[in-house]
Amino acid sequence: MPKVKEKRVGFVIDMTPLVDITFLLLTFFMFTAKFKSEAESEQKFVIERPKSSADTSKIPEKDLAVIKVAFTDSTKVDTAYYYEMTTEKDWLAVREKSNSLTAEQKAKAQIRVTKDQLNEVVNSTYRINSKTKFAIDGDKGIRFKWISDAMDILRKNKFTSFNYVTDKVQ
Amino acid sequence: MSGGGALSGGGKTKRGKVGKRKKIKRVGFHLDMTPLVDITFLLLTFFMFTTTMATPQIMEMTVPPDIDTPVDVKESELMTLLLDDDGKIYWFMAKEKAVATTFNEIKAIALRENLAQKNRLITVLKVGESTAYGNAIKILDQLNLAEVGITEQISKDIDKDGKPTKRQRKFTLLLLDEKDKDKIKESAL
Repeated sequence: MPKVKEKRVGFVIDMTPLVDITFLLLTFFMFTAKFKSEAESEQKFVIERPKSSADTSKIPEKDLAVIKVAFTDSTKVDTAYYYEMTTEKDWLAVREKSNSLTAEQKAKAQIRVTKDQLNEVVNSTYRINSKTKFAIDGDKGIRFKWISDAMDILRKNKFTSFNYVTDKVQ
Repeated sequence: MSGGGALSGGGKTKRGKVGKRKKIKRVGFHLDMTPLVDITFLLLTFFMFTTTMATPQIMEMTVPPDIDTPVDVKESELMTLLLDDDGKIYWFMAKEKAVATTFNEIKAIALRENLAQKNRLITVLKVGESTAYGNAIKILDQLNLAEVGITEQISKDIDKDGKPTKRQRKFTLLLLDEKDKDKIKESAL
């Protein structure tokens, strides 16, 4: 005897828990999302940071000035200093005050500087906000001379305490 | 999608106030939630892919201020670590001969020497100009790891006020000079 085929008119899945979780995740990711700063979006190079395990402190977000030293192309030969600051007001004032910067440099949020210009901007930074914290963000393959020179510049301008930006060991 | 919208709020009847209007009994209503869920998923995937969880961390560093007057230090309280241009590491106490070492041994050496001379030992790290910056950070990291153990041991000592002794870290970072290079050559003989 053949079974009587039940006619299905449709079925209902309760999607409430799914939507609940989705909203929860959405709000979580929305609140934790941090968008690239103007300086970072101008950046055309990638820094492969050295790994460290001991220090677990996070990078400060306020009154921070970053000196980036990175390979500017894949040949890993060309290097330059890049300078940026997180506090917009100070950064504008610093760029205004540093006379050796070209108009093109002054218009940018992350500027490529020579060693002498770096010295000048660090000096202007000290004059405008001596509480600025410094971070050196260098590629791990860079020659130590570059970092050492940057450290000398900082020390000469009375910033004897600064930070190295590192990545956490996984 | 209709499942989400089936929360029938219209089933409740208001008590007390009875209006003149003819009451329509609502059995429930359907709200098409498909577009809402679509957009939500879209946003969710967007935020999930754009967020980077690992924010960079920092390693603190303090260098001595720029002063012209040299400070005299006892040589016996001086531990020197040399990192040459090829990334090889050597270490010595005072004026002893430089001994080759590896990244993994630094922590143990720093711990041992620091505990032998509590709070008096000055650590000097001399780094070659052409060595990779990552190597210098690796050594600093090892020294920082050793610092945890040192602080712990030193704080066990109780001073005369009954308080644990405070750790005073003495550290400098310099460039490798010719004299150090000779020292490295000497150790290879």
